[in-house]
Amino acid sequence: MNTLRLNAGLSAAVIVLLALSLLVGPARFGPLDSLRALIAGGDEATIIIMREIRLPRALLGVLIGFSLGASGAVLQGFLRNPLAEPGIIGVSATASLGAVIVFYSGMAGASILALPAGALAGALVAVLILMAIAARHGSTLTLILSGVALSSLAGALTSLALNLSPNPFASYEIIFWLLGSLKDRSMVHVWIALPLMLAGWAMLFASARALDALTLGEESASSLGIGMGRTRLMVVGGVALCVGAATAVAGAIGFVGLVVPHLVRPLTDRMPGSLILPAGLGGAALLLAADVACRVAIPARELNVGVLTALIGAPFFLWLVARARREAF
Amino acid sequence: MRATRPARNRRRNLAVAVLAGAAAVVPGLSPAAANEVPERVMSLNVCTDQLAMLLAAPGQLISVSELAADPGLSFHHARAAGFAKNRGLAEEVFLERPDLIVTGTYSLHNTTTLLTRLGFRVEAFDYGQTLGTVAPEIRRMGRLLGRSAAAESLATEFESSLAMVERSLCGAAPTAIAYDQNGIAMGSGTLVDSAMQAAGLRNIAAELGFAGMAPFPLELLVQHRPQIIVLSEPLADTPSLADQIAGHPAIRALGQSSTRITLPRGSASCGGPFIIEAIKALRAARETLVPCPPLPGPSG
Repeated sequence: MNTLRLNAGLSAAVIVLLALSLLVGPARFGPLDSLRALIAGGDEATIIIMREIRLPRALLGVLIGFSLGASGAVLQGFLRNPLAEPGIIGVSATASLGAVIVFYSGMAGASILALPAGALAGALVAVLILMAIAARHGSTLTLILSGVALSSLAGALTSLALNLSPNPFASYEIIFWLLGSLKDRSMVHVWIALPLMLAGWAMLFASARALDALTLGEESASSLGIGMGRTRLMVVGGVALCVGAATAVAGAIGFVGLVVPHLVRPLTDRMPGSLILPAGLGGAALLLAADVACRVAIPARELNVGVLTALIGAPFFLWLVARARREAF
Repeated sequence: MRATRPARNRRRNLAVAVLAGAAAVVPGLSPAAANEVPERVMSLNVCTDQLAMLLAAPGQLISVSELAADPGLSFHHARAAGFAKNRGLAEEVFLERPDLIVTGTYSLHNTTTLLTRLGFRVEAFDYGQTLGTVAPEIRRMGRLLGRSAAAESLATEFESSLAMVERSLCGAAPTAIAYDQNGIAMGSGTLVDSAMQAAGLRNIAAELGFAGMAPFPLELLVQHRPQIIVLSEPLADTPSLADQIAGHPAIRALGQSSTRITLPRGSASCGGPFIIEAIKALRAARETLVPCPPLPGPSG
């Protein structure tokens, strides 16, 4: 399938799921009333529900899904590791830790505006550690195991930080930071995440040509005029911005960046550079669909969307591991 | 293996000796104990803490739970300054050897079972409280502490204040919701639901079929636009995501059409006589929407 048709198809899927996400909710409005309230106007309560509750949720589904899908595709391409993904290698968990330390210590008051700073710093530290490990030991397994260790450490420190908070609700919020959610977000969350994500996307796309060249090996790539230093900067910065911003507003949502690149890769020319856009669109579609599903599945007790993505992603991860072993031996 | 056996035996003997000693010092539950006035009482629960602090004779209450001093949960947190605090651990109780332990049925279930087995007298107060349980629980605490007269006057005062609020009502009941941290609403059967009824308000969470403390979708709150929204203050000075819901733009966008109030801190977390302060706050919010003529009464 050519790339243009693939991207058009995925964009259409994102638009349909975006509309579905806007139409699903406990306040049962007709689809026409809902869309009219969103765009034109109408009953005041409907307008508030559409513009202040459902719109930010749907938009964050698109933005976070795109960021995670694209980050996964770039990490898999750059590290030449089919199992690389922000959640599995511990970038999301470390971003959560950074956000938790900044927010619950109260160093920024009760404002959520400081969350991205902490999450970004956490994500950046994780990516830098993993890049250093990957540069020294090329093996797929070393990186994944280091990521697992980093994930566990960050998860444990997140729990510790939340348990130390004098606020009695803090310890119940572990589940949000480890298995994210899009429940009751607001446009404030969209505005704090959007600029960071746009910058992150720009950096990820800027690495596309280098990722393609790197499939020929580092030496051939540098003979084509690709600077490793610049490429590493784009990948590290792009992933940290995308995952940091996503985690700051929705907690750690895993496996989107793992599953989607593998699903769309067979439909592309298999060059890592041309995988970024379809992986981002696919990620947006997957997260929107998962978020709708967890609202519809058990309406009275809404699931965290991170639970659902893990339910889909973890078996997929096991299958990838089994397949990778079969091919290696 | 063989070398360690004597050591192990010695350790077992020691353990037996300790247990035997422990059994000797535990105050056994004699049949008369239940009727005597306890001299040393310990409270392990923030709700029993407050009733006991209001009713106990000087020196009778030897310690209250740590939460008794938490202004977010305990209405009488200032009184707690005069009492030793416990963390509700069986060990602490064991060291103090009180004649009576008062606690809640909900909290520390394992501790309660353990203490009962060790022969302590434990009186548990039910967690499921409504306005109807307030006066009976005051009287029960009074009987347990041998302070029935003090309890009777406190219970009667509460009942007459409550009756006065109910007499002062007029007109159609405005709609209201108590919307707590994390978007949890107080549905039917809760203390706050019964307080709303007493204050002449219609709890939309209960009317929509939500029972107990239940997650209430923000969308439904906006759709039904209750005239009074009771928000809760943060329980601590440090932030939590749970507290963010009160500041959600959708709630702010309701603007003047919904009156937003908070209840006096700690007044609604337990079914004690201080719940009347929460009812008065709800009643005052109702007065701004549906003014009623003042009561011609002796209270003045």
